[in-house]
Amino acid sequence: MSADQGGGSKPFDPFEPFRGMRDAYLDAMAKAMVEAVNTEGYAQATGAMLDSSLSVSAPMREAMEKSMLQVLQRLSLPSAQDFATLADRFTNLEMRIDDMDAKLDRIEKQTHAAPSTANDQPVTPPAQDIKAEAERPVIANAASAPKPSIKKASPRKRTSGKGAR
Amino acid sequence: MTTTPVMTDEFALLEQRLRTVNKVMTTKAAIAQTPKELVWALNKAKLYRYIPVVPAEQRHRVPLLLVFALMNKPYILDLRPGHSFVEFMVNQGYDVFLLDWGVPGPEDKNLKFDDYTMEYMPRAIRKLKAITGTEEFSLLGWCIGAILTTIYAAVLPDDGLRNLLLLTAPLDFSDKQKLTFARWTDEKYFDVEKVLATFGNMPGEMIDYGAKALKPVENYIVNYLKLWDNLDNPQVVEAWHSMNTWVTDNIPLAGGAFRQLIVNLYRDDQLMKGELLIRGQRVDLSRLRANLLTVIATGDHITPPCQSEAILTKVGSGDKELFRVPGGHIGIMAGSGAHKLTWPHIDGWLGKRSN
Repeated sequence: MSADQGGGSKPFDPFEPFRGMRDAYLDAMAKAMVEAVNTEGYAQATGAMLDSSLSVSAPMREAMEKSMLQVLQRLSLPSAQDFATLADRFTNLEMRIDDMDAKLDRIEKQTHAAPSTANDQPVTPPAQDIKAEAERPVIANAASAPKPSIKKASPRKRTSGKGAR
Repeated sequence: MTTTPVMTDEFALLEQRLRTVNKVMTTKAAIAQTPKELVWALNKAKLYRYIPVVPAEQRHRVPLLLVFALMNKPYILDLRPGHSFVEFMVNQGYDVFLLDWGVPGPEDKNLKFDDYTMEYMPRAIRKLKAITGTEEFSLLGWCIGAILTTIYAAVLPDDGLRNLLLLTAPLDFSDKQKLTFARWTDEKYFDVEKVLATFGNMPGEMIDYGAKALKPVENYIVNYLKLWDNLDNPQVVEAWHSMNTWVTDNIPLAGGAFRQLIVNLYRDDQLMKGELLIRGQRVDLSRLRANLLTVIATGDHITPPCQSEAILTKVGSGDKELFRVPGGHIGIMAGSGAHKLTWPHIDGWLGKRSN
């Protein structure tokens, strides 16, 4: 590894042969260990160790949890379980808000897309409907009488009502 | 009389080396530097969008969503400037998003694959679509993230997924002889319920031990010797520092997801058998129709290649490819050779299918 860096001008390193020996030994050791951990014996031994440590710690943990719960109850403080339940409810709320946010996004997108769709394809009834709606403010801005806008708006009612049927 | 100065030099050098060791072992490297913005969050999960550097008209039309494993931080995908997959993809003109699962707390112990794939992912994807204005997207899943993306792609095949990239995906658990994890977590030796009753979530330290114990000499000895031997090489030290920052940043795995991983997958191989139920719905891999690229690390000891090969015969995708890369589980994406081999191949494959 280090031999690669120095190039030709690297000074004599008396430890280099030892490094070679070390690496060879570690290579052999690594292969042996990979085989060792891949045996049923290793799985059994680690499983037994884990199992016994969990068994030993379980009564202590349970007693600790019980006493902690009692203390918290006496002090009128919420327990970890209470916080977990709250967190669950918060997540559910977040999901609902997220769904509402998505719905709003969709509605906003549809309302923004509506005028441009109408301009692009004025032939289909829904587009006419949107176009009529889009034209309304222009007439109002021109300070003309409100009558034409009502007239223009009337086909919208017809198309949407009858078209739906 | 030259002995004293030489000795002083040697001591100064040794002191310098020890300082470097102390620094890299006790501090965190500057990682995840690619500029990004938070665009969505739910519980602990966050969706980030990386700030594009390529003009919109030159960018690929289909955005890319990265989904990493549940038990490690996802910034391995954006390790450090110049050595970041995210940075590479952003520079190649992709609109890159990252789904960070966050760190599950005790209150998240019941989270399952069902929640991640049917609640979190669809919502994050919905946001991605709203932001980009496209109905199509690509998914890249790595390790457990590949399990999640595969489930998602099979259960919701009509959600707009165009391209699916699976990196070192542990999907096939049939060959128990080759799976050391399967042997360790066999029901004869490992009581998953007892572990979860004690801890709620699977502790990050235990997961880390499990991953390192697969190659104990490499992980506990050779890794540190490699650093010691290269202390005079700043590039190696910097790479080692950032990788060590990531490796030691362990997070727990939600209890429900861990139970499914061990019982439903490692023991019963339900995904490949077509028996895995997600929200009561059977995960049928033949429904997965997205273009598929599976990247396999030939020297992977965590997810041996046999775990990622069979997926190609099960999916309904017409366009599918298997790409083998020499290297390990993490090395193929974050190693020094990743930018020469894995990243360009992913870019080449995805680029053709993202416009």
